[in-house]
Amino acid sequence: MPIGLNAGSANIDSNMQKKEITVKTARLFLLVSLVALIGALAIGPAAAQDDMSEFVFAHSGPIRPMDAHSHWYGSTHWMLKLYYDCLIWRSADGSGYVAEAAQSWESVDDTTWRFHMREGATFHNGEPVDAAAVKWNIDRVRHPIGDIPLYQQWAFVKEVVVVDDLTVDIHTHEPHAYFEYDVSYNGCELIPPAYFEEVGQEEFNRNPVGSGPYTLVELSENDRYVFEAWDDYHSGRPEVDRVIYQVIPEPSAQVAALLAGQIDMMTGVPVPDRAALEGTEGITLLTESANIMHHYYARVDTESGAFPETFPDYQPATLDINVRRAITHALDRHLLAEVHGAASPRLARVCSYYPEGFADKYADPDIIAEWYDPDLAKEYLAKAGYADGEGPTLYLDTPVVGRGGGAKEVAEVAAALLEEVGFTVDLTVRDASAFAVEVQRSGNNRDLMLATLGCGPALLPLFYQCDWSAVAYNVCNEDWDAVAQAIQVTIDGDARLDLWEQWWEYYIDLTQTITLFEVTNVMALNTGEFEFTPRKDGWMTFRELSKAGM
Amino acid sequence: MRAFIVSRLLQLVVTMLIVSVVVFFILRLSGDPILVVAPDFFSEEQIEQMRKFWGFDRPLGEQYITFLRKAVTGDFGTSYLAKRPAMELVFERLGYSWLLAAAAAAIGLTVAVPLGILSALKRNSFLDLLITMLSSLGTAMPSFWLGLMLIIIFSVHLRLLPVFGALEPKAIIMPSVTLGVGMAARLSRMTRSAMLEVLNQDYVRTAHSKGLMQNTVVLRHALRNALIPIVTVFGLQLGWLLGGSVVVESVFSWPGLGRLMIDSISVRDNTVVQAGLIWFALSFILINYAIDVIYILLDPRIRFQ
Repeated sequence: MPIGLNAGSANIDSNMQKKEITVKTARLFLLVSLVALIGALAIGPAAAQDDMSEFVFAHSGPIRPMDAHSHWYGSTHWMLKLYYDCLIWRSADGSGYVAEAAQSWESVDDTTWRFHMREGATFHNGEPVDAAAVKWNIDRVRHPIGDIPLYQQWAFVKEVVVVDDLTVDIHTHEPHAYFEYDVSYNGCELIPPAYFEEVGQEEFNRNPVGSGPYTLVELSENDRYVFEAWDDYHSGRPEVDRVIYQVIPEPSAQVAALLAGQIDMMTGVPVPDRAALEGTEGITLLTESANIMHHYYARVDTESGAFPETFPDYQPATLDINVRRAITHALDRHLLAEVHGAASPRLARVCSYYPEGFADKYADPDIIAEWYDPDLAKEYLAKAGYADGEGPTLYLDTPVVGRGGGAKEVAEVAAALLEEVGFTVDLTVRDASAFAVEVQRSGNNRDLMLATLGCGPALLPLFYQCDWSAVAYNVCNEDWDAVAQAIQVTIDGDARLDLWEQWWEYYIDLTQTITLFEVTNVMALNTGEFEFTPRKDGWMTFRELSKAGM
Repeated sequence: MRAFIVSRLLQLVVTMLIVSVVVFFILRLSGDPILVVAPDFFSEEQIEQMRKFWGFDRPLGEQYITFLRKAVTGDFGTSYLAKRPAMELVFERLGYSWLLAAAAAAIGLTVAVPLGILSALKRNSFLDLLITMLSSLGTAMPSFWLGLMLIIIFSVHLRLLPVFGALEPKAIIMPSVTLGVGMAARLSRMTRSAMLEVLNQDYVRTAHSKGLMQNTVVLRHALRNALIPIVTVFGLQLGWLLGGSVVVESVFSWPGLGRLMIDSISVRDNTVVQAGLIWFALSFILINYAIDVIYILLDPRIRFQ
């Protein structure tokens, strides 16, 4: 047989065999894939297969430990409030305080507050929530434990005295104007003393026990926290059976999960997604103050923080009050708020819903619009010795994103506005943690830096007193200091507001903190199933959550 | 074999020591973690107290010795933020990363090897062109983009799969497909080129001329000899996957090691970052050693060298 014919026959066989193996492999692959897909899809969800109402909130994370006394992170305390009761707490509408573990409370004298506990109230493990437990908790939180920093905020407490099983007195060092605010602040959460002492902090963080309306039934660290309504809660079982805090770091994934019906609420809805969410049936956008404000801190001294070592010969232009006044009038707050995307312009550092914020003056859109005055800014620059539009160089430091959203774009526009009146701006944008380490917490702010802060009035006067040792600035004006001290010990509300009015005049005049805007939280809620009115304090906690149509 | 294993173990100890030095000092040089953890209103004195509490006030060398002494017993310290042992947090997440890595690897292998073989067998055909194009696409496609596209199609529009978490078995489909696509693309190209090389060898021609079935020639003779570069690439890919895929775990909120690392790095929780990186390095090295052992099993000549 000729060799060529044999070779041709072998080639035909080989091709047929190749086809066969191709078809077999493809079939096998398709079969395996199909079985795997069907198998996976056929297995139903692990959760939410019962009749319980379930609300899933997308938390951007990270979430901190369950020992509520061990950190100050607001967004973790949101969640902890489901689980822990405080003695009293801020009402959702910001108008006052509501009873929690305490049934009632009263001021006995200027330095003594008495709390009456609920009879028979217990923690989730059955331990009594009594006067002794309150004393143990406040004594714990007002002393340093490990690296716990909360004790500073509880320094106003002089002594906690157990009067009887259900009555406890809290004595303050001096009259304390913001006692109720401070006693319902971070660290107010009550934990069971006997259980904690038995298991220690580490185990408590794994298996916490509280006395709030929900019990924790599942904890996956910094990932998923499942709470279920507690039947024995003193004020009645919450309406929604199960509340889940699910950590979803990516905003786009949160939006997708909401559209897919896998979560019920998200906060900080990105601007490009708002229209799509608003147009989706059953989803409603809600807005409320995020309780966060953006400011620029101006360098007013050369001694605080790391400044003397880092910039030994540098004389910031902002030491001159006229330069600072030029800056505040050069900034168009309406424009900056618009650039941020979810903010309202402000001149003062307390949120507008607090009476101390004097919304009619410092949150009034017309007044703020008039405040932007480039000509006046140029006049102040001239007074500072910078005539003919030749202003000094300003070093402006900002993170890419601050608390409450975008900061980079705002800083870029602010820099342009400052340059319009004659400043030369050297803008440095850093990643948030680099900004914290290199500028903010080390006190390395050179001329201007972004500060994103809460906006409650209680602690604010403290920050500008002569004995306050902030690393980013050191403002000391003895007259202002006297007003601040008076505010803190004035119990009478009206008299205190008069003092606040004076306090703001110093704040505006000295221009160390240049307030830009109050951040608005844009939330998306599954209103097809749930009703929720956002709290004024910006806390995403869901004690007041209810089912739609109930 | 015993000498090989002993020498590799010694290499492992030395490598881990070097890794521990690099990880420890780079993290310390990257900035003061206390400045991230401390609140805005803290004074210098309070910040110093925190440094003292966490031992950052001591000389770096002393800190390293303390770290190393504890690390050999498995104690990587307590997380600054979670207030729990760092290694415990790493181990909690490890299972999820392993599961995802295994699923992605299974997808990668199941898709890549048959396609690579087909591509080589059908060299220069339309099928070959198609597979080559798809593998180029798979290599070039960013995983976060693919992940988001899958979410939009299968979660938002079709409502078949969950967007986040690891709560139900089907939650693994999208993250593992996202990871597996990239892996399959790289592996299929490698399989194709390795197969093309061996298919032209004399012993393959001899096998054909002996009258062996095509699948016997391809699977027993050619593929086995082409496996070494495939296994090498697979091992490297698997090493990365076991360390946790940061991007995919973030997009799908998969509670794995990658997400833990990102969360910890963003808040400079150094104890957790150290524990995670050491584990990552260890798993990578162990996989490489496993690959070495597989080489020996695949090609006995390597043993004698």
